[in-house]
Amino acid sequence: MAKIKMDSALFSRAEKAAEAAGYSSVEEFIIHIVEKELEKREQSDPAQEIFDQLHGLGYVG
Amino acid sequence: MRDARFGRPPELSICQWVQRFVRFGARAIRGRRVLAHSRIKKFVVLGIDGMDYGLTHRLMEENKLPHLAALRQEGSFTKLGTTIPPISPVAWSSFQTGSNPGKHNIFDFLTRDKRTYLPRLSSVDVQNSRRHGQRGPGVRLLRKSKPFWVVLGDHGIFSSILRVPITFPPEELHGVQLSGMCVPDLRGTQGAFSLYTTESLEKRMCVAGERFVVKRDGNTVQAELTAPSDPFHRNGQRLRCRFDVVIGDKNNVKLGVNGDVHALTVGAYSPWISLEFKADSGLKVHGIARFLVLSTEPEFQLYVTPININPNRPVVPISYPVVYSTHLAKRQGLFATLGQSEDTWALNEGVLTDDHFVQQCLDTTGEREQMFLNSLDRAKRGLCVCVFDGLDRIQHTFWRDIDEEHPAHEPHRRERGQHAIENLYRRMDDLVGRTLEKCDEETVLTVISDHGFTTFRYGVDLNRWLEENGYLKIRRRGRFRRGLIGIDWSETRAFAIGLTGIFLNLRGREARGIVDPGEQADRLRREIAAGLASLTNAERAGERAIRHVYLAPSTYHGPYKDEAPDLIVGFEKGYRMSWANAMGQVTDRIFHENTRAWSGDHCVDHSLVPGVLFCNRRIETESPSLVDIGPTVLDLFGLAIPKYMDGAPLVVAEDGHVGHTVKGL
Repeated sequence: MAKIKMDSALFSRAEKAAEAAGYSSVEEFIIHIVEKELEKREQSDPAQEIFDQLHGLGYVG
Repeated sequence: MRDARFGRPPELSICQWVQRFVRFGARAIRGRRVLAHSRIKKFVVLGIDGMDYGLTHRLMEENKLPHLAALRQEGSFTKLGTTIPPISPVAWSSFQTGSNPGKHNIFDFLTRDKRTYLPRLSSVDVQNSRRHGQRGPGVRLLRKSKPFWVVLGDHGIFSSILRVPITFPPEELHGVQLSGMCVPDLRGTQGAFSLYTTESLEKRMCVAGERFVVKRDGNTVQAELTAPSDPFHRNGQRLRCRFDVVIGDKNNVKLGVNGDVHALTVGAYSPWISLEFKADSGLKVHGIARFLVLSTEPEFQLYVTPININPNRPVVPISYPVVYSTHLAKRQGLFATLGQSEDTWALNEGVLTDDHFVQQCLDTTGEREQMFLNSLDRAKRGLCVCVFDGLDRIQHTFWRDIDEEHPAHEPHRRERGQHAIENLYRRMDDLVGRTLEKCDEETVLTVISDHGFTTFRYGVDLNRWLEENGYLKIRRRGRFRRGLIGIDWSETRAFAIGLTGIFLNLRGREARGIVDPGEQADRLRREIAAGLASLTNAERAGERAIRHVYLAPSTYHGPYKDEAPDLIVGFEKGYRMSWANAMGQVTDRIFHENTRAWSGDHCVDHSLVPGVLFCNRRIETESPSLVDIGPTVLDLFGLAIPKYMDGAPLVVAEDGHVGHTVKGL
């Protein structure tokens, strides 16, 4: 698990914001922000790979 | 030879091992202090996926479930509120985290990729290794928030968590965990079986699984199993494992694989057999499968289960710690590791008979029982949770036995005395009896389910309804294309995918969105909800197909609520999202008769399918819900409930214990 450094005051503000928003921790809050940004920048997997991953799921046909 | 451990975290250094050991020791000391002031010693959750309130009640009244009836009499039995929608990944995630889906991010089995509109698993993200420059596939759990057992662990209380859905990849905790629903097979699918046959392929259609035409040379058939591509080779060639079958006589064959010979009887499953896939690079990947020779004449037919990850040598971690699955396999032998290990597609497609399918469910249940009862013996204090899936799969596939109006109902099955559903309820009752024998007066036992069950007679193509009502446009030759590929996004305002959700094509959120957020989106949500409320099925005398449509902004709260479908459709009894719609096809009519063996379902309005809650103590709270279980456990161990949890502790009586008293029933 990688670690990053952050300004203490910013971390403290993030902690308060995370609690108010309903996150279980400040780590979860920060990860969510990073994930949202990466989603905008990264490519999706090709259609066939996605269909392969869903193959065999009982509920869909 | 190198082993293929391409999904594993880096090996731990000595320093890290020491840190872990010290941390474990510190937690154990903290745990002793907490337990000294706790109201209980142990909390056990026996999860039975899909146990239906109404059916359980009826079977108890018929004196067919004596141990559960004893729990009801001396402790508690009540409906357990489920989630919107009442689907296992959503419900078990709410159970784990004590929170609504807006806080754990799981709203369905499937969601869509906002960049491509393609369907994706909502709970796991598998990143292609080559695309992202990693050595192997990156696997990430998309369920957010924090399970209540992690909170217990923070206070030094040990947990054994077995096969709880949506725990893959496994997370670190103070305890042990074996992942459940959504663990893939070795090919990375949710379960692809193989059929080897000398019969011509044109005679049969197939949706799932792979079929291979093989040639019989005298008494020998040679073929190969395939696994994922070699991660060290750019050509993407699949790994292969050759095997041969020598037919002795009509009922006996010998299977040769990886240098071992296994005697098989026609019509009977082999035990789990270890498979080794080798690549030119020296890579070895380990899987397990069961073989079932269906016939030797006139055609040779061999069914092979999806290739499960070998718990002894997992190619990606399926447990925490990683060695826990190995420990279990050494203790009790190989076991199914696939998330949905009961092969419902092989039954749907007529590859497996009813009896073969039931046998598969029972065998998996047996493995799980052994695991669970052993964990009860070993954990003297703390939390034990185990979820059994077999009843869910059996009800999905045999509801046609108890619904005489179902299109796939076969009266002769009941006449032959085949009661697959009832038999498994009885087996679960027997397990409850054996569990009670292991519960003393300081142990609280709960038996819970995530949802109930009802019939599934008609599939509803909501995309077709959206098209007919002017909300969705199909491109030329776009009809019947999977994954929403045939849709004209420039003129589509809403689309359905997954099992209960409709998404707006929202500008700024979806790649080619055309609906403005705010007032326009709010108005559109309300308009579609009102239109769907009047949807009726002319084939069933104008029967209503939908009970209620929920608007996400007023249904969920929390940081992930914007990830939810905009509308969640609560179907009436007998209706569900159609098979094709779930994967993003648009067909040419709204209602589709369901003639498949998969005849029961729970993807309906949550009010129709509550779960069950049994407890060996009296529960005095009215209308308990799944999200209350975690807070109840924390409360009984004397811990504060974290602010992010939506559930509240149930009022559990201090006395009224049911334990050894029901022994001998």
